[in-house]
Amino acid sequence: MKTLNFTSFIQKPAAGSVISFVAVIVFYVIFGGVELSNLFGAASWVNFAANLGLIALPVGLLMIAGELDISIGAMIPAGSMTIAVTSGHYGLPIEVGIFATLAVGVIVGLINGILTVRTSVPSLIVTLGTLVAMQGIVLSASVLLTGNASVSLAAPDWAKATFGQLLGGSYQIIIVWWLALSLLYYVVMHHTRIGNWIFAMGGDKESARNAGIPTQGLTIWLFVLSSTSAAFVGMCGAILFNSAQVSGGMLYIFNTIVAIVVGGVILTGGFGSVLGICLGTLTFAVVSQGIYFTDIDRNWSSLIIGVMLLVAVMMNNLFRKMALMSAPKLKLTSEDKS
Amino acid sequence: MSTQSCSTENSSLLPSFGRLVRRPEAGSFIGMLAVFLFFVFAAGEIFVSPAGFSSWLNIAAEIGIVALPIGLLMIAGELDLSIGAVIPASSLMVATISGHFGLPEGVGIIAALSMGLLIGFINGWLVLKTELPSLIVTIGMMFSVMGLTLGLSVLITGSTSASITPSELSQFLLGQFIGGMFQVTILWWFAAIIVFGYILHVSRIGNWIFALGGDRVSARNAGIPTEKLTISLFMMSSLAASFVGISQAMVYQSAQVAGGQAFIFNSIMCVVIGGVVLTGGFGSVIGVVFGTITFAIVNQGIYFTDLDPNMGSIIIGALLLIAVVSNDTFRKMALNYSNKKKS
Repeated sequence: MKTLNFTSFIQKPAAGSVISFVAVIVFYVIFGGVELSNLFGAASWVNFAANLGLIALPVGLLMIAGELDISIGAMIPAGSMTIAVTSGHYGLPIEVGIFATLAVGVIVGLINGILTVRTSVPSLIVTLGTLVAMQGIVLSASVLLTGNASVSLAAPDWAKATFGQLLGGSYQIIIVWWLALSLLYYVVMHHTRIGNWIFAMGGDKESARNAGIPTQGLTIWLFVLSSTSAAFVGMCGAILFNSAQVSGGMLYIFNTIVAIVVGGVILTGGFGSVLGICLGTLTFAVVSQGIYFTDIDRNWSSLIIGVMLLVAVMMNNLFRKMALMSAPKLKLTSEDKS
Repeated sequence: MSTQSCSTENSSLLPSFGRLVRRPEAGSFIGMLAVFLFFVFAAGEIFVSPAGFSSWLNIAAEIGIVALPIGLLMIAGELDLSIGAVIPASSLMVATISGHFGLPEGVGIIAALSMGLLIGFINGWLVLKTELPSLIVTIGMMFSVMGLTLGLSVLITGSTSASITPSELSQFLLGQFIGGMFQVTILWWFAAIIVFGYILHVSRIGNWIFALGGDRVSARNAGIPTEKLTISLFMMSSLAASFVGISQAMVYQSAQVAGGQAFIFNSIMCVVIGGVVLTGGFGSVIGVVFGTITFAIVNQGIYFTDLDPNMGSIIIGALLLIAVVSNDTFRKMALNYSNKKKS
């Protein structure tokens, strides 16, 4: 398994995402006449990838653990609004705003997590409930508290430098956060016990619990992580643009799922990698933002994303079957979910 | 192959209070009643006037036509998110063929419905062939159809919208307002309720759907044509979505590329509030109808009150969570009472 050859490469969860990433760029070069130096020099898709990636990572871990979180679509505007209302509208110190934002993320994550582990309701439905409820809370609270739907925020210099500056004039600082957290997630997922637990949970929750893994606590913390990350992304956006962005969160729901799945994570859990999720995010960003650098009409980008997703999942499925076939112990794929 | 007898007999048809509470629609009926009474008190007389009824019935009819087949799919253990793209796609198709090119409306309508059937077939076929979760397959389909709609619309008509002037017949059948306020779509919804009610609760196919959602492998072993059934269910949901798209084009006399996205989560919410369990095998048509009405009442009733309209979302979200948690409890009760204990 350790020798570097083709077979061991395509058995890695990230293999499909490497192929997708290269394929998309080759496609753009051949059919779109894109110049690579232009594409790689552009900040737009890297910024896009960083914002998406910060959310895709924890949601990806949840998917590896066999759960799903779509409430992030409301948590991004919620984070944005919370900091703008506390530190902008009420003029409280920025530290209070940051704390409040993260606290909102933790609370919603706890609700998602506890409802998921305490009931047999699928997390898709639980987080659909919190998604809709949070959307209503964010919009009506902002109207009730501030009297209008957009709130401005003037962050002090240090907060601006940490969360919302533009490096080199166009690269958002959030890219640094994304890289740092990717590294952290990589270490946790692939080099610690917790990572093994998450894979075990996604593979077979019952056996994982019987093996002594604290599955319930872990699930709850993963939900907390994903909604807090989404609130964090919203907060960084508010600090960067000096005002709260209430709309646009909904797009993240499907974009995140597509990025993760293209990154080689299997929706039913137990299979995936941090590197794959990062590459999936980059691929998604290149497709949706890189199309502006091509001769292709940008209206077709959704079609490319859809086809890419379907091809990528089929490819990943095939690779996973190959990986399972060549594993020493032959494991039968269980058809427990859908 | 097809001659079989399914033993999932619907024994809970006999009325008794204990049985009533354990029916899938018990919770959704209580929810609907509570929401209705709340808005009667909060909004007053205007809400129980014809104008009040038409406001939420029009919304309920459009979502309801899609929610019914989505409910059947969910009872069978599958999901379909592509409807969010099929609705605007078929709307634009009718408007482009019959409005932009001026071909007879029959051609446009048949083309749009066939497109719906085709997309549904591809969804079902992909789900079966790849054994991937239908969530992912239909997200892929949603993006593809969205891209195709946008790309083709700009390519053919040069804009992202198209207008259509319906003929008197299609205006009468699909686009008229009865009494000036009730959309004719409501009658189509009633018809759909009867058809889907028959399919799920009277015909043999209904038993098959429950069996499919309960346990796919056993269902196949019992001789149920699971593959045909799955594909047919996906085709039904896409067909319903394209029907809604057509009727929207006739009602508003124009079609837009955007729009329809809201239907994705709204239809799932109606179905879940209506007592259908996402993991399959449990639910009823009348429950889905109650869920749809509940959703529509909250969605529209809020405008008759002094509350901020966004509060409607909070109520719907809370209702959904209450519904799933209580359905979970009801379902456990139902399973405990039955002889066969399922873990």
